[in-house]
Formats: sequence, structure tokens, C-alpha cells
Amino acid sequence: MKRIAIDEAFLGELELLETVLKNNIAGSFGGNRRSRTFGSSSEFADYRDYVPGDDITKIDWNAYMRFEKLYQKLYYDERRMHTRIYIDASRSMDHSEEDEKATEAIKIAAAFAYLSVAEMDKVSIFAIHGGELTEVIADVSGKDSYLNCIDKLNSVEFYGDARISDAIVPSKVGRGDGISVIISDFLTDENYEAAIDRLCEQKRDVICLQVLSREELNPQIRGKMHLFDSENASRYFRKKIDKDVVLAYKEALKYSTDRIRLFCESRGANYLLVPAYAPMADLFFGRLTDLEVIK
Amino acid sequence: MTFLNPIGLLALIAVPLIVLIYILRNKFNEQTIPSTYLWELSEKFFKRRNPLSGLTGIISLILQILTVTMIALAIARPVFVIPESAGEYCFVLDGSGSMNMKDGSETRYERAKDEIEDVINGAKGGSTFTLINLASEASVTYERITDKKVAKDMLDDLQCSDGTVAYSDALSVAQKYYDDNRSFLVYLFTDKNVNSHENIEIVNVGLQNEDNFAINNVASVFMGGELSVSADIVSYSSDKEIEVELYVDGGKTAAARESVSASAGAPARVEFTHKTDAYESFRVVIKNRDALMADNEFISYNHKNETSYSVLIVSDTPFFFEAALDVLTDAKVDVISPDKYKNDEGYGLYIFESFTPETLPDSAVWLVNSSKNVDDSGFGARGVVELDAPCEIIMSASTSTSAQELLHGISGKDIMISEYVKYSGMYTKFTTLFSVGLNPLIFAGTNGLGNREVVIGFDIHKSDFALSTDYVALLGNLLKYSCPDITPSAAYVCGEDARINITAQVNNVKATAPDGEEIYIDTSADVAAFTLDKVGTYTVEYTLSGEKKITKIYSSAPSEESAPESGLESFALTGDREYEMTDGEFDPIVIILIILALAVCADWMVYCYEKYQLR
Repeated sequence: MKRIAIDEAFLGELELLETVLKNNIAGSFGGNRRSRTFGSSSEFADYRDYVPGDDITKIDWNAYMRFEKLYQKLYYDERRMHTRIYIDASRSMDHSEEDEKATEAIKIAAAFAYLSVAEMDKVSIFAIHGGELTEVIADVSGKDSYLNCIDKLNSVEFYGDARISDAIVPSKVGRGDGISVIISDFLTDENYEAAIDRLCEQKRDVICLQVLSREELNPQIRGKMHLFDSENASRYFRKKIDKDVVLAYKEALKYSTDRIRLFCESRGANYLLVPAYAPMADLFFGRLTDLEVIK
Repeated sequence: MTFLNPIGLLALIAVPLIVLIYILRNKFNEQTIPSTYLWELSEKFFKRRNPLSGLTGIISLILQILTVTMIALAIARPVFVIPESAGEYCFVLDGSGSMNMKDGSETRYERAKDEIEDVINGAKGGSTFTLINLASEASVTYERITDKKVAKDMLDDLQCSDGTVAYSDALSVAQKYYDDNRSFLVYLFTDKNVNSHENIEIVNVGLQNEDNFAINNVASVFMGGELSVSADIVSYSSDKEIEVELYVDGGKTAAARESVSASAGAPARVEFTHKTDAYESFRVVIKNRDALMADNEFISYNHKNETSYSVLIVSDTPFFFEAALDVLTDAKVDVISPDKYKNDEGYGLYIFESFTPETLPDSAVWLVNSSKNVDDSGFGARGVVELDAPCEIIMSASTSTSAQELLHGISGKDIMISEYVKYSGMYTKFTTLFSVGLNPLIFAGTNGLGNREVVIGFDIHKSDFALSTDYVALLGNLLKYSCPDITPSAAYVCGEDARINITAQVNNVKATAPDGEEIYIDTSADVAAFTLDKVGTYTVEYTLSGEKKITKIYSSAPSEESAPESGLESFALTGDREYEMTDGEFDPIVIILIILALAVCADWMVYCYEKYQLR
């Protein structure tokens, strides 16, 4: 099923944005990210006293003529980051045609990927099936490569369950070299916490996007219902759903989202609840900007 | 418990159907959703704000079963028997003229009806109700009925009369019921103060002593182009200045007006004079408003005899009859000898003296000294009886109305005859006025042709009858009998019977009451009568010899009904009272309907609440 189509106008607008990195200390050379260390880029940073053994080509002779003292010119170091995007590819993300969560998740992943390649970073996108990661796009850099392989996102299949921690923790997540985006409905108890801890330990900038459908945010079903879980048929909920039950559901939703948000905040990670029906422009030019994840 | 309509219980079949529908409808709808995680988590936050909200389904089911059950019961109409709780009620409703008096906003009659309705409403189910309506005569409107609605509906239809009523009749009817069952509860609803009322509950509805005025004893004289009218005006409750007006011939403006100072209870005389060449009617009216308007007006119609007639005397010696008729009537009188009589037509009265026609004319007829038989005469002649010596004829002592009228003003003494015609074999009804021995001598009645007939069975020339003081008076009475006024009087008091004299020429008699009620008069008898139970003008229509005639008579309010407070000596039942109640019935239809309405409302509210909960 084709879930995304390249919207060049939107991608053009995305180029105006860039992701904000907090832990941009690592990464490979040759990127477009200014490191906190000094390096060999062409962008002037500062002066320091010349020490014998320094590269004499970087002595500022104009300063010597004025102060009769040798100063060494310092330049910023620029690194290439590696953006890793994890998509929850469980059945709950794509239960029915009306369910827009899977489509929204893939669109968000595509947009983040473009944002990264536009900044000369590498991008990898993974689908989480059960306790394993399935590589959808690996180490893509440059817009041409992006455009060539982005269509692979349409082939992602959503089935089974997704144990986020079991999949991410043992994987190679990098260290201090970019952002990690987890896109999921997080309709689970705790199987995401170890993953976030692991990513944060590895100095990754973590963004958790919880995508929920309209029905999940504001359930409309009423009456005597026997609800089965799409991921596990042995799980069910049987009750007459009335106003009191719906009120309890909404309290449960608030409790669940607050728990994820608070956990993320405690780990320095970013969290955003994304309605599946929200326009992408609103997300990227509004809420993510407000969250200072991108600027 | 019994059911008036047991087939209604079939509606209970709907109960298992409702239960079945409830079971079928109550199944859980299965649906697969992305994740039950939040729903399961919601159990920790679930609080039932209204403990009943979880039971709405079963409450709704119970209410629906209750509704169907109540509908079934409402159709089946269960009735519970309550031993010795019901009574037998007998209401005597006074419909006399004074009950029309308005005490406040409603008449006493209306208040009496309300009181009866209150008793009916308060009676236990299964009680029986009997209503004796007391008008000019007592009539039983309904007897021992148990249906309260019918009892009240029939009560509503009753109208109060304007006249006096027959309390004794009502009492005898009530006594009959009381004799049947000494536990009968008899109520008299009246405005009279009853001095003795043993075994009867008196409900006095004459609560207030309102002003009432009345016109009594109206008299008039028309002489010399002047109409003089006098009347007694009475104010019953207080001294009053009363405005009285006289209207003549239906005029819209008063011909005369007087103001009378009337002392309470004492009649004040008022007199009017009005110059006119002739008049047809006059009306005396009290202008002041009071509690009873019926006695504030009196109308007098100047009555004229509508019967125009002429007389044919067939006699060789008509002197005595000619002389008497000359005195008694203005009617045209022709005389012919018997040999010239050729069944002449066109006369209202034929007098055959010492001559018997071969056939009787189709009019009133007098047969004087008729010694031969004639068809349709109603009697047979058995020949002349010559007496050895003059003999006195004997006047009838009958107290019948017709005899009394025909012998009015007659002494009947010292009338001697020397011979007479013996009559026998009377086959129609005659009233004998005089007789000799056992033989009728002067008698009157209706002959076989339906005409009035007078028979004088002796030759007046051979008696001293024509010379007696009774002669002219008796002939006057016989003349009135033979050629009567159709409506002999134009003034009656409400409650009296109005008389209509029926002759062979009178047909299609109909009277129209003041309220428009039409009364068709039976013309088979000599005299017809109908009761005047309304105050006002009755219009009598009839055809006289094919010509349509209209005459009016006035029925005035009886003076004894005018006093706001009046008394009744006794209205009591004889016999010892017993206090045995009968088995009563309790019809819970009202309770059933209330429960039904509550169940429907409650079910609707539960439904709305359920919808509110599921919104």
C-alpha cells in the first residue's frame, strides 16, 4: 500500500528547518554539523597563542604586525551526524483502513529523514517487529540517495507486536552522533523505557512521538461491547461502555501519556503526542518547533 | 377479585416477548480494536457515579413489564369485592321554581347537583344510586344503578322546573324504596327548611338570603278605551324601592312606569292606566335585578274566542231557544222548520227540536225531544213516556269535572215535566246532567261522528224548564260545551295543566314551550291538557276547520316559590332504620392508570438517562 508520496513543496519548506542537537560531540568528519571542538572547517572560531609545533599556515600575520605576537587562528570542527528513526510496525499501528497511525508514522519518518539528509547527515530507518529491528533504509546521505530509496517506506508491513526495548537496546545505536526518533502509539506498559535509557546513555538526542488515532483520543463506541486486542486475541475488554467508562478511559489516556512524557523529561528526551489526523506542516512548523526539537 | 373484561389478560402475552427481546438485544457487540491497553487501564480509574446507572437495562425491562402488565389490567378491569362497604343511595332532587334562585354564582339547583355528585364520588364502588327528580310530578330518573359516570351524566341532563312540585309524590316513591331496604340512604336536596325529616338526610342548598322581588295578583280592566292594570309587588328580603314598568302589545318602550316602595314581605300595590282603542297583550315588569328573574314579569294576553260559529235551529216552535241564544251569544242564528231542512251545511251548532234528522250533521248537535233513532247518535230512543202527574227531574250529583262544569251555576230544583222520551243503549260516553227515575233526561257527550252532542229528552213546551232560573244558565253551559273556546284561558300558574278543548273541527294541536320544547297534543278526547312546567309564554298552534290558528297563553311563576326562604312541614320516612351495608366493589382503574403513567414516564426517563450516559 502506498502511504507516502513525495511532496516537493513540503520538502522544500522543510529545508528551511534544521534539527537541534544537544549532544553533538561525535559523528564522522565531513558533515555539516558544527562541533563543539575546533577543527578544520573554513568557519573562523577564535584565536589562541601560538605554540611551537602548531601549523604555521594558521598563524594570523596581520595580528602579528599589529601586536608583534604570534596568534594561531582557530576554526570550527564540522561533523556528519547519523539520524536513526525507529517505527513501531506492530498491528496496533495499522489496524484498519480508517486507522491513520501507520501512514502518519511513515510520513513523520520520511520528513525527519529528509530534514537530516538536507543537513548532510546520514539517515537510517528501522521498523520494529516483535523484539527485532528491520532495516528499511540504511545510512542514506544526500538528497539523491534519499529520493532513490525513500519509496521503501511504503513497503513497511505492520503486523504482530512491537517490543521497543527488546529491539533497540541490543542494536547499534551510535554515540553522541545525532538524533534518535521513536515513532509509536506506546500502547504498552513499559517496554519503551529501557530503550530510551539506552539511547540517552549513548548521548543520543531522543525524540519520542506518540501517534494516536482519533478514536483512541476520543472514543465514540458506546453500548455493550466486547473489544478484542488486534495484537493479541487473548486480550479483550468486555463492558457496557457509557459516559462513566469513557470518563475512566480518558483518565487512563491522560495517565498513560503523562507517564511517557514525564519519563522522557526525566531522561532529557523529547516527547510529543501526535494526533494521527494532524497535518504534517502543523507538526513540523508548529509543535516540533515549539518544542525546540527543530528550528 | 373478578375481571370485567378477562380477555384483556391476553395482553400479558407481551411480557415473555419483552423478556425475549431484552435477552436478544442485550448481547455484547464484538469488535477488534488496535489495542485494549487503554480500556484495560481505564478499569483502574472507573468510578460509578450513579449506582443505578449500571442497572438501567434491568430497570428498563422491569418498567416495560410493569407497563404491559398495567395495560393488560386496565383492559381486563379487575374489581375487588370489599365486604359490607357499599350503600344504597336515594337522592330526591327538589326541582321547584325557587331552586332557580341564584345564591351567588350558581343556582340552588346547580348546587344541589354538585352536592349529589359529591355524594356519588364519595360513595364506595358497588353502591347503588337512585334519583327521584321532583318536578310537577315525581319521576324516577334512574334506579339502583352502580355506574357513577352514568349517574352523574344523567344528573347533568336534568332541568329545574319553574313551578311547584309534588313533595308527597316523591315521598311516597322514596318510602317504597325505603320499605324495600331499610338501609336505604335517602337524601333530600332542597332549599326548603324541613321541620320533620326522620330517616332522611336533608341537604339544604338555600344558603343565602338574596333579594327577590315578585309580581302577584295582576288584574286588568279594559273599558272606554282605557286599559287599567294593577298588581301586587313584593320584596321578600328587605325594604326596597322597586321600578315597575308596563309594556303594551310587545312595545319596546314602556307605556307606563311606576316606582314602588315595598316593605319586606308586604305586598305594595301598583296601578297603571293606558289609553288605547284595543290591545292584544300587556306586560308588567320589575326592572330591579334579583335572585330569581322568573317572577319579575307577568304577561296577559287579551284572549279572544277563535271559534266563530253560527247556529241553525230546526223547529216549528223555536221561541225558547231563539230567546236564550239571543241572550247568550252574538253568533248568527238561523231558524227553519223541519220540513224545509235538507241537511244544510256550514253551521257550528244544529238544534233539532222535536225533530229527528235522518242523518246527523258533522257539527255539534242538540237533539231536543228526539223520539226516533238516528245513526251515530250514540243512544237509542225507546218511545215517549207520558206521566200521570207532573214530575220533578233530578240533577246529577256527579263530581266529575265535566258534570261540574256543565252544571256550574245550576240549582236544579223545581223543574217539572209531564212527559219524556225514554233513552237507552248508550254506546258512547255521555255525562248525565238530569234524569227522571233511572232514565237519563239531559245528557252530553260525543257522538259516533266525534262531534259534541247534547240531548234534552223532553219537550220544553210541556215543562216549566224554560221558565226556571236555570234555563238560561244551563243553555249557556251547554253552548260553551258544544262550541267551546279552544284555549279557554290565557293565564295559568306554572305547574298547572293548560286545557285545550277539542272539537271535531280542531286538529294538529301543538304547543311550544318558552324554551322551545314542542308538545304535541292528543286530540282523541274532548279536552286535552298539558302541564305548564316553565314560566313564560306558550304558543298553541292548531287548525280549525282547516285554517291555521295561533293563540298564546302565559304561565306565571307561582308565588309560593318566590320567597327565598320557605318551609316544608314534613318530609319523613316511616319505619325503623337498619344499617346493613352491601358488599362493595373497588375498581382500581385509576390506580392502574396512575401506575401505568408513572411506569411509562419512568421508562422514558431511564431511556433518556441511558442515552445521556451513552452520548
